Amino acid sequence: MAYSEKVIDHYNHPRNVGSMDKASADVGTGLVGAPECGDVMKLQIKVNPQTNVIEDAKFKTFGCGSAIASSSLATEWVKGKTVDEALEIKNTEIVKELALPPVKIHCSVLAEDAIRAAIGDWKKKQNVAKPAEMQAQ
Amino acid sequence: MRTRHFCSACGKVQPAVPVDYFTFFGFPRKLDLDTSVLEKEFYALSRRLHPDVFAQAETQERAWSLEQSSMLNDAYRTLKDPIKRTEYLLRLEGVELEEQSKQATEKARATGELKKQAVPPDLLEEVFELNLHLEELRMQKKAGEDDPAMLEEIGKAKLSLEEKYDALFSELKSEWKKWDKAVDSGTEEDRRKIRDTMVDVLNRRNYIRNLVRDVNEAME
Ligand code: FES
Repeated sequence: MAYSEKVIDHYNHPRNVGSMDKASADVGTGLVGAPECGDVMKLQIKVNPQTNVIEDAKFKTFGCGSAIASSSLATEWVKGKTVDEALEIKNTEIVKELALPPVKIHCSVLAEDAIRAAIGDWKKKQNVAKPAEMQAQ
Repeated sequence: MRTRHFCSACGKVQPAVPVDYFTFFGFPRKLDLDTSVLEKEFYALSRRLHPDVFAQAETQERAWSLEQSSMLNDAYRTLKDPIKRTEYLLRLEGVELEEQSKQATEKARATGELKKQAVPPDLLEEVFELNLHLEELRMQKKAGEDDPAMLEEIGKAKLSLEEKYDALFSELKSEWKKWDKAVDSGTEEDRRKIRDTMVDVLNRRNYIRNLVRDVNEAME
């Protein structure tokens, strides 16, 4: 199967590979896997607490070329978006952008899962960080 | 009931009927299969369907015998292998792994809730960590260095993975027994639970299988 040019570009020059401090209050970490193939993907975001804007994103993926390209693209897309805007990203948009064939759709699903998981983790931290509000509920 | 491979009246080969592989051999859709019985059936049918037997037959009959024997081979290969057999049965039962995952993502998107990962988070964590180590090992190798402490750690991880791998197979086999019982006398709810457990075991096993493979490659 031939990869599209965009996939190859992200594969050869992945954007934002790396990691951030998992324990930091403004960092959200998503670790997800695709059981079909056993691939794993970690995506992290750093959110500005005042504006809820994602200021930085990093990823590390052990998996196929499409998974690497999808997560690389995902980090590019989330940067500069607010958390709520980032939740709007759909795997189908990734499929379109990277021209992924049907057998590689699950790789893009993985990237969407990773974004959601990272945001979910960050949100959890925000709630825990505001115990007074929690008690008021 | 087993499908008829030959006409009961005249003994002539019949066209292959599109049935599932269990039915092809006349087995119920059960998993704890006695492979020696399967093998016997396979060899008996192979002999009767062998192309040499049909060398002189009419074109139609020859074509049918080919169809039958190719289905026979596929059925045998699938049922003989314990994992393929389980995956095949799950597919017959309508379990679509990829479809499930996609639907779960769509649900998460719609409700804003978090998608439940198919494998437990600590397993994902372990897979990820070990992959990081392996990557480092590969880089060291390329640079011509070696780090005995790292090798030892990876070696240990490999042993524990292999143990887990075996344990998962035993777990799967005990689910087979439950499944077979539920086929005879269980409710649909019982069967659904067992199917879910089997999917779960296979998912975890996939990760571990890939890891063991990668560890072996990196340590070569
Ligand atoms: S093949 Fe599984 S993530 Fe791409």
